[in-house]
Amino acid sequence: MDEKTKIGLFEYDVKNGLGLIAYNVDEHEHAHIIVDTKKCGDCDSMMCVWGCPAQCYMFRDVGLEEMKFQYEDCVECGTCFLMCTDGALSWNHPRGGFGITYAYG
Amino acid sequence: MSDEADFDVIIIGCGMAGMACAAQLLKEGIEGDRILVVDRGEPIGAKNLSGGILWGRELDELDDIFPNWEMDNPGIERYINHKKIGFLSSEDAFIMEGKFASWDGIGGTEEPSMRTGWSVLRAKTDSWFAEKLEEAGVFIMPGIKIDQLHIDGLDHTSYSARDLTSPAEDSGRGQNQKWRIDNADPEIVNAIREGKICGIVQDGEVMTSNVVVIAEGSNSILTRSYAFDTMLHAQSRHGIILGVKEVIHLGEDVINSRFGCFSGDDERPPSGMAMEAALAIYDDMAEKAWEEYPVTAGQIPRAGGWLYTNRDTLSIGVVIQLDSLPSGIHTYDMLEAYKNHPAIAPLISGGETVEYGAHLVPEYGLDRMPNRLVRDGAVVIGDAAGLVYSNGAVIQGQNYSIHSGKLAAKVIAKSIESGDFSKKALGQYKKDLDASYVMRDLKRFKTTAKFLADDANYTWVPKFMGKMFNRVVREIGEEKITVEKQALRLRKEMRRKDKKTKKGLGLLNLIRLGLMGRKL
Repeated sequence: MDEKTKIGLFEYDVKNGLGLIAYNVDEHEHAHIIVDTKKCGDCDSMMCVWGCPAQCYMFRDVGLEEMKFQYEDCVECGTCFLMCTDGALSWNHPRGGFGITYAYG
Repeated sequence: MSDEADFDVIIIGCGMAGMACAAQLLKEGIEGDRILVVDRGEPIGAKNLSGGILWGRELDELDDIFPNWEMDNPGIERYINHKKIGFLSSEDAFIMEGKFASWDGIGGTEEPSMRTGWSVLRAKTDSWFAEKLEEAGVFIMPGIKIDQLHIDGLDHTSYSARDLTSPAEDSGRGQNQKWRIDNADPEIVNAIREGKICGIVQDGEVMTSNVVVIAEGSNSILTRSYAFDTMLHAQSRHGIILGVKEVIHLGEDVINSRFGCFSGDDERPPSGMAMEAALAIYDDMAEKAWEEYPVTAGQIPRAGGWLYTNRDTLSIGVVIQLDSLPSGIHTYDMLEAYKNHPAIAPLISGGETVEYGAHLVPEYGLDRMPNRLVRDGAVVIGDAAGLVYSNGAVIQGQNYSIHSGKLAAKVIAKSIESGDFSKKALGQYKKDLDASYVMRDLKRFKTTAKFLADDANYTWVPKFMGKMFNRVVREIGEEKITVEKQALRLRKEMRRKDKKTKKGLGLLNLIRLGLMGRKL
């Protein structure tokens, strides 16, 4: 059986999914999640990368040497905050009026 | 204090719990202009997402505030009269299906005959609820994010909201994580943990109230920060589930014909189907992940899938127990695998995805619920309080939220009358909650969390169910054997295959599972 057609090896087009959500992105100085990426270097489980449903965290999973974080696509679920075991994350909700707007929910 | 406060009650969060609390306060005779509901979302509902089925008739009691909610609320999509529970493995699907006349609410031999569940789309339901509350005089403020709770005698500028949720410089890792606030003046820390809560702080501005109701939902930053609960540290993902969801547009007619639904009449919304399944479909994904990331080798993602019919869309998604997720598997890829399962793909084919989203489900179970739900001047309700229960067959959360909101409102109304907003007076809410079906369910079924966290339900159980059903119903020109013999034979075959299954299907393990399963 071809690798890709084996059930369980599907890849979700997450950027396309996120493209369907309306965002009002706040300025960088008001980013609601702050990641101290210096602390990420020797993390071998990278649970934020795997848990985040919005691909805000990219690291060795996409071949990067350093953790790359962006808050712009965040769906404000809070998963990463629970996943990080290295104390690298500061989490808060976006300011009022900013962030995602679900039309269906 | 009562006369000086800006409001009698400030409710943080206009979801199921918050809106029910506001509505019940009105019913208890509290004036609408003494109630303020704030929510991060603008419009109300914009941040809210559920699976979602609303089970139970909790809204009936509130129908003088929400008249004709079943027909008029645009987010109440279809009533559920058709339920499926499935076991999916990579190759097979075994799905049990029931369609009940009594769930139509106008017939059937089973008492009571009533509509008891509705598919809901929360962005729409919640903005309608907010509109009705506003019509009844309640102050609704959308687009407001609360930074801090206002504590009597504590200057809110003496610490920042960030201090509550940022790791300290000298933080340890994992369980030893420390927060910036832990290094603050002990007097400030003590006030944050034990002081009397008397309002909210937003963008430096204080609004005061006699009672603050925290209905902020599952991502409960305030609840955790203000030490209603002390588990704000990593590893707290145990007992927390992530739901990853798509809304897929299919059209009303296609949904009616594909799922055998009725299109509604003057008294009823259209009928619909709710399906939930245990998933053992991630073997290949996990094996690949273990190879690449040995750090979590052997960890099987424990997940369930759902599919619900809305009026012209489907809600489809997977729920993933976060402590089971191994490195190497993206949560959204798990959704894609589920969507492509041979039993699911034909159901959504031809559809167009119109929304993607994700949300936490606080299925802590009894052991991990917040330590306290009441402080001087404040109560916690709904998802923030961890009021969710599921055993795979029933999934309760939104109804528990509504119930907790109503119970809190009844106690708060008495406090407003007496002028006593202490934790002792408000503590009656916890007592009422304990005596209600919400906590009684959670207590009676406290072993369920363990059962649902057992790998068996996401590995050999769905496979066994599928294979067993296949063998019992197929006709391949062989001599028949009894179901019992078939089961024993299948168990033997499956045990031969790999070590894990061998252990899983071992006699002691089966007895253990059986004992837990008996208590579902």
